[in-house]
Amino acid sequence: MKTTKTLTLQKSTFTLLSLFFALFFFSSIAQAQEITVKGIVKGNVETEIEPLMEASVYLKGTNFATTTNKKGEFTFPKKLKKGDILVFSYLGYIKKQIKISEKSTFITVVLKEESIEMLGALNSNKRYKSKRPKQ
Amino acid sequence: MHKFGVLLFLIVIYKGFSQESDFKHINFSRADNIAKTYKSKNLNDLNKITSALTNRLDTDVEKFRAIYIWITHNIANDFRLYSKNNRKRKRFKNDSIKLEKWNSRFKNILFKKLLKRKRTICTGYAYLLKEMCAITGIKSIMVNGSGRTSTMDEEDLAYANHTWNLVKLNNKWYLCDPTWSTGISYPEEGKFIFNYDNGYFLTEPKIFFFNHFPLSKEHSLLAPNTPNFNEFVEMPVLYAKAYTILSDHINPKKMYHEVHKNQEFTFEYLLKKSINLRKVKFIFTNSVSERTVKPLVSLDKNSLTLKHTFKKRGFYDLHFYIGDDIIATYTFKVVK
Repeated sequence: MKTTKTLTLQKSTFTLLSLFFALFFFSSIAQAQEITVKGIVKGNVETEIEPLMEASVYLKGTNFATTTNKKGEFTFPKKLKKGDILVFSYLGYIKKQIKISEKSTFITVVLKEESIEMLGALNSNKRYKSKRPKQ
Repeated sequence: MHKFGVLLFLIVIYKGFSQESDFKHINFSRADNIAKTYKSKNLNDLNKITSALTNRLDTDVEKFRAIYIWITHNIANDFRLYSKNNRKRKRFKNDSIKLEKWNSRFKNILFKKLLKRKRTICTGYAYLLKEMCAITGIKSIMVNGSGRTSTMDEEDLAYANHTWNLVKLNNKWYLCDPTWSTGISYPEEGKFIFNYDNGYFLTEPKIFFFNHFPLSKEHSLLAPNTPNFNEFVEMPVLYAKAYTILSDHINPKKMYHEVHKNQEFTFEYLLKKSINLRKVKFIFTNSVSERTVKPLVSLDKNSLTLKHTFKKRGFYDLHFYIGDDIIATYTFKVVK
């Protein structure tokens, strides 16, 4: 009789303890809030908006980075926390920084084209040749 | 008073030697080695490339050097893109809407090519340099304007055709041209050859101006004495080698001259490094013939003076050579 009692007691302590641990465990997760960030990066050229392939996405101040796939999609390889800043860049587009919040599980980023005039003059080492000036 | 004079003299001397010589005490070989050994198939991860190039270097100028050397040894000049762009820009010269549309489309093509194939034209070089500098924390801006080479005429120069950079190091602005540092294109033969030219790395503003006319005057770094566009067009033609050998081209200020027979004409230059004076020569060309003449050469410290007396009437192109390297061209009409 006595033995069964201790057994039930042990059982209940066990459940209590495990419950306690489980609570502790979940609450710690809640505190750190690790967020898996997925998203899509698009580029805005004139009036068209299309996905940007191989745009780079990196965590500001670190070397953690990834690039977008053919459809412009990415999944950031590191779990992020609230307040982290993701930087989105693609040559020829204005960089964009996005602050991560609990809701940032899927983000759509549209990068705007940088306004630059595209110019190019070829270097030459050819000897100059005068056209005879008109007299 | 005497001491004051010496001090003033020293200050003047110091001011005279600016630009790359500001960093004479720095040995670039470490930066150059890092840049020359680092390879990357494409530019997808610019942060990684930039940090690999710069994280073992201490000073901003060394970091800048590594980026500059890497770009100029890895990014090829795409003359096909260049000529396509040139054609379209000329055609849409007076139609700003079409020009803008073309520019936008072209930008897209261009940056894709730069990312994947590491080929571009001027603006791509300047943009890449600016971006990589920004990653490192160095301020650089792109400068648009007229770039001048021996093959261009006045019409080519009338609108902006070239992009280069200003970079701020130790709180001072410097000029550089990553495109022209990279090498030379031979469009007729359909090839581009990498041939690094240090002459366009942190170049003296005065000599840089001979073939770089910025759209905004202050970008010349010559303010308030920036020559105007007409003065720019009338300047002599300088070649790439002029930038590795000369720190200034003092006289003549113009390309075209009319002189009298038996008149002596003086050319003055400041040298950046020592040269073999015996190799200095003038080659005179006109539509039918070519002849080589030795001018009267004198050297005082780094100041080189050449003198020539014109004996024959006629119209000549006068090319200044040191050995096989062409430095500058002037034109002379010799009259009675």
